[in-house]
Amino acid sequence: MKGLTLGLAMLCVPLGAAASPDTYEFDRYHTYVHFAVDHLGMSTIWGRFDAVSGKFTLDTQAKRGGVELRVETASINTGDNERGSRARSRDEHLRNADFFNVLEFPQMTYKSSTVKFSGDAPATVQGQLMLLGVTRPLSLTIDRWNCGLHPFNKKEMCGGNASGSIKRSDFGMKYALPAVGDEVKLFVEFEGYKQ
Amino acid sequence: MANLLNDPVIQSSVAPFFAALIVGGAMLPLRLAGLGVAAGFLATVYLVGNFAFSPLTAMRKIVVLGMGAALIGVLAGLAFRPTRSTGLVLGAIFGAASIWVFWSVLAQKPVPEALLYGVGTAALVVWLVAFTVSLHADPVRAGAAGLALGLGSGVAAVLGASALIGQYGLGLGAACGAFLLLVMILGRRVAAGTVLTLTASVLGALLGAGALLLAQLPWTSLAALASIPVLVRLPLGANSPAWVQAIVASIYGLAGAGAACFFAWLASRSSAG
Amino acid sequence: MRKIVVGALILAMPLAAAAEAETFAFDPPHTFPHFALDYAGYATIYGRFDKTAGRFTIDRAAKTAALELAVETVSVTTGDNERGSRARTRDEHLRTADFFNVAEFPRMTYKSTNVKFNGEDPAEIEGQLTLLGVTRPLTLKVDRWVCKVHPFYKKFGCGGNASGVLKRSEFGMKIFLPVLGDEVRITIMFLGMKQ
Repeated sequence: MKGLTLGLAMLCVPLGAAASPDTYEFDRYHTYVHFAVDHLGMSTIWGRFDAVSGKFTLDTQAKRGGVELRVETASINTGDNERGSRARSRDEHLRNADFFNVLEFPQMTYKSSTVKFSGDAPATVQGQLMLLGVTRPLSLTIDRWNCGLHPFNKKEMCGGNASGSIKRSDFGMKYALPAVGDEVKLFVEFEGYKQ
Repeated sequence: MANLLNDPVIQSSVAPFFAALIVGGAMLPLRLAGLGVAAGFLATVYLVGNFAFSPLTAMRKIVVLGMGAALIGVLAGLAFRPTRSTGLVLGAIFGAASIWVFWSVLAQKPVPEALLYGVGTAALVVWLVAFTVSLHADPVRAGAAGLALGLGSGVAAVLGASALIGQYGLGLGAACGAFLLLVMILGRRVAAGTVLTLTASVLGALLGAGALLLAQLPWTSLAALASIPVLVRLPLGANSPAWVQAIVASIYGLAGAGAACFFAWLASRSSAG
Repeated sequence: MRKIVVGALILAMPLAAAAEAETFAFDPPHTFPHFALDYAGYATIYGRFDKTAGRFTIDRAAKTAALELAVETVSVTTGDNERGSRARTRDEHLRTADFFNVAEFPRMTYKSTNVKFNGEDPAEIEGQLTLLGVTRPLTLKVDRWVCKVHPFYKKFGCGGNASGVLKRSEFGMKIFLPVLGDEVRITIMFLGMKQ
């Protein structure tokens, strides 16, 4: 009898360990994609996409995870959005067909293929960025990562920062090269709540 | 303990409540229990970390004027019996002082706008002071008015986008709540006097005006706050014990406070920001 | 006669040297102060001020320079400007008396007191920042400095990046400490066009 109970108990253990991964939804009020690009070798322009959504999954035991990020390209914001005496502002220019062509490509998406862990925390994410209809690999480094309870609303969350870089010409965005740099550094600030 | 005192909820509720209870209780024999309100409010200001006077921002001037009101309230209470016009005179003085409080904001507006906001703010102060100070002999109604003014301006300010003004308002409400508790336990012999009514009305009016000028509270919320000292005058049931009357008066006052919050919430819905 | 000529030349020299000082005006579409601070130990959050105005003078021969920059506090932007179901956005909150108190303090200004050079280029700027009516020293390191004829404006300009750190509590902005970080990293991207 004892043997049977022990046997049954041992059968249950792997079922217990195979916990399904946790899913987190990015908090749109605390998740932004920033970028930095060189301008004429004289200054650096930083910009931001204000509307970012998506989710990520995390299985800290199996050391697996995934992320899917959707960026509304029309939400691009570099601070220059009043025309003054010019024909258009920089942000308007960025939205037209010279750059992000937001009417044709309203979204830019990132889907991960592998997540490498360092201990309990994700360290690098390999995936694909789709921009202007072109899909290319993009690797992101997780620079900051922390999970816990949100200090104000006490919900379970994970937050941090990630960075990477792309060559915009790879995606067909060749306008104003090389006056406006080809290399675009990306840096993401994010927070996600457990679902 | 330090962590607890850093908690904004504690700073605006428990801390001012107990500070007001202790100081108010100690001042009972002097008939100055209303001083507890000033003590409670100062406790919130101190814990929130804003206890500095340079530069003298509008929010800091509000604190200064609130303490001035407490001082004048004590002196007035000791010097003479308040007459019917006392509230009006004090209202005029503090109404004029409110222009000083918000001068840095008013001076930057175009003249017609500055006049509108300046006169409106002063009028709110005159109204609230006059109608609240005239409750000086009725600790139940005075306490309830203070409670509603504090909670109303506090919650409405939070809805109008400022956590700081919200904390100050809630601290005022908690301090007045402590005074009202003393009245409920000890009855109507706990004197409200000019000290309670002037301090609570000056602070309530300035915090409300501040939330409009420095954050996004709509003027309709201020109109609702103005109704509070009128609402608490509704019948309380003359034969009921003090603690029942206190509850009834609080319900009347909090209806006005609730309306202030409702208007603030409505305004936050409608504009896109 | 010779003495008079020499004397006149000697008198004229400082005037000639003073004529080396060049004045530049910060170009608004390419001048942005950015800030970064810690959010509850989870992520680094970024923000920017969109409206600035100012100028700098530089005398490369004498190795002296001075700058003055005024920033419209109402132009603070962190990407969170749509309320959704909330009572207010983060940007609206930042404008209230809780943070930048823009109704009372519409402008934040930085005035240099001393500029240290590294060869012909400015390397470090010592100055005073006035924020919320409080004036405190702020030192900026010039991370990047390039001077040349701007290919589009066709005028001579100097551009680059400068960075520094400040403690917001020193200026009286104490809300949400320590959950929201005290240390704020400033990065200014700038372009100045010669006047």
